[in-house]
Amino acid sequence: MGKKKIWSFLLLMLVALSVVLAACASDDASESNTEKENEGTTEEDTGSTAAEDKVLVFGRGGDSVSLDPAAVTDGESFKVTQNVFETLLNFGKQDTTINEGLATKWEPSEDGLTYTFTLREGVKFHDGTDFNAEAVVKNFERWANGSEDKFPYYASMFGGFVGDESHVIESVTADGDYTVVFKLKRAQAPFLKNIAMSPFGIASPTAFEASGDKFGDNPVGTGPFKFVEWKRNDSVTVEKFADYWNVGYPKLDKIIFRAIPDNSTRLNSLLTNEIDLADGINPSDAATVEGDSNLQLFERPSMNVGYLGLTTTRPPFDNVKVRQAINYAIDKQSIVDAFFEGRAEIAKNPMPPSISGYNEDIPGYEYDPEKAKQLLAEAGLADGFEMELWAMPVPRPYMPDGAKVAEVIQKNLEDIGVKATIVSFEWATYLEKARNGEADAFMLGWTGDNGDADNFIYVLLDGDNIGSNNYTYYDNQDLHKILIAAQTEVDEDKRNELYKQAQEIIFEDAPWVPLAHSTPLLAGKADIVDFLPHPTGSDKLTNVDFK
Amino acid sequence: MTQMVPNSTNEIMVKKDTSTGPWLDAWRSFRKNKVALVGAGIVLFFLLLAILGPFIAPQGINDQSLKDRLLPPSSQYWFGTDDFGRDIFSRIIHGARISLWVGFSSVIGSVVVGSILGIIAGYYGKWIDTIISRIFDIMLAFPSILLAIAVVSVLGPSLQNALIAIAIINIPNFGRLIRSKVLSIKEEEYITSAKAIGMKDLRILFSHILPNSMAPVIVAGTLAIASAIIEAAALGFLGLGAQAPAPEWGKMLADARVVLRNAPWAMIFPGIAIMLTVLGFNLMGDGLRDALDPRMKN
Repeated sequence: MGKKKIWSFLLLMLVALSVVLAACASDDASESNTEKENEGTTEEDTGSTAAEDKVLVFGRGGDSVSLDPAAVTDGESFKVTQNVFETLLNFGKQDTTINEGLATKWEPSEDGLTYTFTLREGVKFHDGTDFNAEAVVKNFERWANGSEDKFPYYASMFGGFVGDESHVIESVTADGDYTVVFKLKRAQAPFLKNIAMSPFGIASPTAFEASGDKFGDNPVGTGPFKFVEWKRNDSVTVEKFADYWNVGYPKLDKIIFRAIPDNSTRLNSLLTNEIDLADGINPSDAATVEGDSNLQLFERPSMNVGYLGLTTTRPPFDNVKVRQAINYAIDKQSIVDAFFEGRAEIAKNPMPPSISGYNEDIPGYEYDPEKAKQLLAEAGLADGFEMELWAMPVPRPYMPDGAKVAEVIQKNLEDIGVKATIVSFEWATYLEKARNGEADAFMLGWTGDNGDADNFIYVLLDGDNIGSNNYTYYDNQDLHKILIAAQTEVDEDKRNELYKQAQEIIFEDAPWVPLAHSTPLLAGKADIVDFLPHPTGSDKLTNVDFK
Repeated sequence: MTQMVPNSTNEIMVKKDTSTGPWLDAWRSFRKNKVALVGAGIVLFFLLLAILGPFIAPQGINDQSLKDRLLPPSSQYWFGTDDFGRDIFSRIIHGARISLWVGFSSVIGSVVVGSILGIIAGYYGKWIDTIISRIFDIMLAFPSILLAIAVVSVLGPSLQNALIAIAIINIPNFGRLIRSKVLSIKEEEYITSAKAIGMKDLRILFSHILPNSMAPVIVAGTLAIASAIIEAAALGFLGLGAQAPAPEWGKMLADARVVLRNAPWAMIFPGIAIMLTVLGFNLMGDGLRDALDPRMKN
């Protein structure tokens, strides 16, 4: 009986399997049939079906955190909101110059304390509300009366909230229907760039007053696409906004943002036609994409830095000689050649060369293990020491394969007598622990959000940002004074001079080993046109079309 | 016995030739099994690699040379190089030591602990049996790899902890095996007589019961080594086992995953190594079962 049972069970499984296989086979067959039918019909027909429904499926590394751009700081969220919301000013197509957005004119006063914006007329929010000066004022009032939890980016860009002494914006007032006047407490050099950042997309006051905290689930802006639905951890769908002010745009009818965490899986989805555009292509896969006539490779202009942070409060990294030794020990050229496949520049400063104020004269630490050993000996650690080397568990635009780069660094350190154990955690835990200063040395990186030096050096290395984005706990008062002076300095040349000084101090103190400024890669179908990846990582897909 | 001797003189002769103990019998039957011999040969081959590895391997485990990364197999690099320009051939040889070490020591660990618990449960019975058996049932209710992942997450990822985790998840298998064997052996007459002459429990357990229940354990143990190697590779693949730069085969597979398109050899060779070792232990285990299981004899 027992044997009979087993056999009948196996037979059942076999039948089930064959049913499944048969179903798959018939699927394939019907697909190929329809393809053939299409081929048989006239070209006009296929042309019209394509014109009827242009859907772009955009595969990306993670899901959105919220669809209210002001509530988040992560790049994945901005990828969607950039197309649903618009900001008063826009960045250039592939740079961070200031261009008109919802405002068509902007005039700073002589002293840099008053900015007058003239707004675009005839713009409507997706819910039918008119876009006007009052709407802009309401948006800024909403943010300014928020808290660090609700609107974190507002606080770091405009120095806090209403009532805070460091809050930069004194008032935002409407002057008639289409003029908004900003009054500042003190001059802020990157003010216009800040205004152009994705988090400050103007939302429909009717919608956010009605939905309150739930606004992030049902965003309403003026952008080219309006929100349709959000399946958590899977996809966000947006569709063409028919009343978009820029007549004739957007070209696409629908965009589906799909979250596919693994880089290789995402590329496979592209190869199997499940998606049309894939973010985060491994440098090692670039050749595959370039060799495929159905695909095209996009390079995102570089505006990032990948680095190894050395927690300056943890011995022996509290000794500047040890930090310099580590800098000399690491062979950046080999790392860039091997794991970025040459699609990166070796870093010597904490910000990329494309940003104004970059100090070209910094020599950088060349690869010199002997000098590293000598510095270790001077620090009294001639026999080396043991340390933890934290490697990020996920591929990032600035670091395609953290674990492998860590293995090269581990070997480099071994060569100077330092025994490093590679440690990794789940990404959120990794960030939290590193932020708490629990790592000896940790790999991390940063993609600029507004193309300003302040957004790199102050945010990542100033004592003010310990506990937020300064994970190394590096705190130098001279540097702090320079960075604060640079924030209020309106003269571009003087300001650049200050940032150059700042980079000299950072070079000497060596809180980081700057590794690389990478060129992140994307891949898409060959028939995608007018897709221009933006250096900030948030792409406006208004002009994108299929051939 | 007295009946058998006069029955046939032939049988006495045959017995004289062969009756040098059940182990030799088993060896004779094992030797006849070609497939099992192939398995044993593979196992022996990898054992030699594990022992002699450092002397044979042309390179060390972490001789990075980033200029020579992802080179296809050639006369210089027999199995090609990985992303770090390390010789895959050398790393596989060094990796044999890790895999076999994990395989053997984790199984030995679970056999020792499992046997002790199984004997106690089987021999003493009653509430002790109930407690131990229920614990085994609970452990067996989890998919083994899930339990291993849980153990490693608690202990922290390292080869040592992966080994402990694999040992722990295999304990109930051996425990139940021994327990059932003990249950039947303790009813045998020689145990009763041992008890009758006043032998202590401990002596009965270790000189009578344990040796007589070893055969199935050896078979299960050999097969368990195969699955332990796979489990270690799986944990290594998930980043929970051996840590960089250890040349653990599962970790080598995981590292090669990204470059699968451009450098398939970085994945193929460690994969073959895992497959061959596991195949070797499985074939050998099957042969041992045929040789040791009295029911299989004709």
